[in-house]
Amino acid sequence: MKEIRSKKFIFYTLLIISALVIFFPIFYAISVSFMSEGDVRARKLWPSDFTFSNYGSAFEQMPLLHYLKNSFIVSSVVMIGQLILSSLAAYTFAFLQFKGRNVLFFIFISTMLIPWEATMIPNFLMVQGLGWTNSYAGLTIPFFATAFGIFLLRQHFLTVPYELREASLIEGLGHFGFLTRVVVPYCKTSFITLGVYSFLTTWNMYLWPLLVTSDDSARTVQIGMKQLRSQEMATDWGGVMAGATIIVIPTLILLFLGQKQLQQGLTKGAIK
Amino acid sequence: MTLLKKGTAVLAAGFMAMSLAACSSNSSSGNASEKKEVAPVEKEGDKTVVRFWHAMGGDTQKVLGDIVQDYNESQEKYEIKAEFQGTYEESLTKFRSTKTSKTAPALVQSSEITTKYMIDSGKITPVQEWMDKDNYDTSQLEEAITNYYTVDDKMYSMPFNSSTPVLIYNKDAFKEAGLDPEKAPRTYSELQKAAKALTKKEGNSTKQYGFSMLNYGWFFEELLATQGGLYVDQENGREGTAEKAKFQGKEGERVFNLLNDMNKEGSLGNYGTNWDDIRAAFQSKQVAMYLDSSAGVRNTIDTADFNVGVAYIPHPDEVDSEGVIIGGASLWMTNMVSDETQQGAWDFMKYLATKEVQAKWHTGTGYSSINPDAYEEELVKEQYKKYPQLQVTVEQLQSTKKSPATQGALITVLPESREAIVKALESMYEGKDPKQALKEAAEATERAMKLSNRTAQK
Repeated sequence: MKEIRSKKFIFYTLLIISALVIFFPIFYAISVSFMSEGDVRARKLWPSDFTFSNYGSAFEQMPLLHYLKNSFIVSSVVMIGQLILSSLAAYTFAFLQFKGRNVLFFIFISTMLIPWEATMIPNFLMVQGLGWTNSYAGLTIPFFATAFGIFLLRQHFLTVPYELREASLIEGLGHFGFLTRVVVPYCKTSFITLGVYSFLTTWNMYLWPLLVTSDDSARTVQIGMKQLRSQEMATDWGGVMAGATIIVIPTLILLFLGQKQLQQGLTKGAIK
Repeated sequence: MTLLKKGTAVLAAGFMAMSLAACSSNSSSGNASEKKEVAPVEKEGDKTVVRFWHAMGGDTQKVLGDIVQDYNESQEKYEIKAEFQGTYEESLTKFRSTKTSKTAPALVQSSEITTKYMIDSGKITPVQEWMDKDNYDTSQLEEAITNYYTVDDKMYSMPFNSSTPVLIYNKDAFKEAGLDPEKAPRTYSELQKAAKALTKKEGNSTKQYGFSMLNYGWFFEELLATQGGLYVDQENGREGTAEKAKFQGKEGERVFNLLNDMNKEGSLGNYGTNWDDIRAAFQSKQVAMYLDSSAGVRNTIDTADFNVGVAYIPHPDEVDSEGVIIGGASLWMTNMVSDETQQGAWDFMKYLATKEVQAKWHTGTGYSSINPDAYEEELVKEQYKKYPQLQVTVEQLQSTKKSPATQGALITVLPESREAIVKALESMYEGKDPKQALKEAAEATERAMKLSNRTAQK
């Protein structure tokens, strides 16, 4: 009994320490967002007096709400697009039998080896040719197809018992009915994982939105963040951190809501 | 942050690939006046829209925004749209891959080291063409600044935000160390002595370093130029295409030796390659003297809780100071837009160069004025009363002697070369022989130049 308790004690102490270490940058960012400039430069850990002026200047310097709206639209559209396309493709690879299926699948998977940065410039030229710069289309459509999403869903789809397919055939369900009525509910966790994951990655995207937008109409919030940083001159870190604190809130909410499913989903796909 | 850094590196790589492709595809790039397809004129009400891509984030963006707004309200014909495009590097990448389209910019801000890139890009109209059309008198502009952007007696771009390096020091620390706070070190030996006196040690750790320099190639170039040293051959690339590095000569050695000696004495603090880090070190009194850009001076004075002094950058005892090269950025006019839009862009450039606007820009940001008359404006005079240190930056610039050395090197591979200098300094701080480190940087630079020259010839 005693041994178990002391083990637990050590375990939790270690957990608390690592939690503190991991949480420190976030804590410090929030703390800096309330500091005056002198405090920031003097590397204080805690503001000597709380000021909200940084939040004011973050809102003043960029159309933050407009950017947040854009980010939200872009992230949601990419999320929905990825879920639809990945589930259709994954279904094909998991349930349909056809010649060259595995070869095709591995070709798909192999594209994961190419970092998207390598294809960035060709992609950009194509988007430019289509006249999609400064539009939501240019920001979202290039990200609809994702090998990772297809892979994740396919692995989970493979665990669907064949008996379910047989049963649904008897019930007279076609492919589409089977996908929406049986497979999707069965693999809910993977869908949530992929959804959260794609929302967050899109939310955090910087380079691509910077490339394809040149004015404020479709710009996302990460570029707004960059606007708070000065070049050559000293950066107003208080304002930057205030901006960061605001834009991290949606991601945090999403994480808290989806955390359980996210863990389950990622491990399921990986360990199978 | 690391992601951002990675991103920039990737961008740079992509940009290199793009530029190679660009070089080989349009070899007739020098002929910019030849008319090609242009974007249609964009209208907003009756006003012609002029898109202006810039890289001014943070406080500078606010000042720029105000100026643009003033301009738009001051006349009826043009509407300037100032659009932020990320850092200089990011903005340049975008510009390089942008084709003629309705959102194409008419004005692009680009940093000084990209001058040759931009000239060779085939996407710009030399601003000289508009100056000639308009009989614009360039002698009203600061010569020390226009020198940099004049290539073959032609002004290619309009200088806009120009900065120079200065030595910033903590006056209170000078007093404490028994030094005269009004007399900043001018020569290397004075600097070394002062740095030694200012260094405070507690046991094995140093509480305050005497001197520090941001590990950034620009400062090396400046320390070289102030001795009259050339960076590359062909008169710094201004008489022809440079092929050999010259910075590894005795001038460069002096700089490296100075830093090496101070590092060995323990009076040199090393805060890496980030501007914000070295400034934080100064603010928290870990460093008593450091080199900074003149654009950052006012902010440093404002935030420090001690007295701040500003002085010229140091020079070796055996040679006189020749002055400084200007840094910062200039505005380029693109040939992707119609004449009408270009006219608007030119009108805005002229507006920016007026003494009233320059006074506002200079006092608001700390960048030097490109129009020396601005220094006579009330606004500037008032600020000098409050911050007499700012005058030092102007004096240093105006006392610069015109020579190829202080005009600055004109090579396309300056970014790569700066990278090589950074590496060389780092390896020297870790114990490498200064001469050897310098030699390796020169070799890396020559390699990059060779590659770039070869692709340009195709």
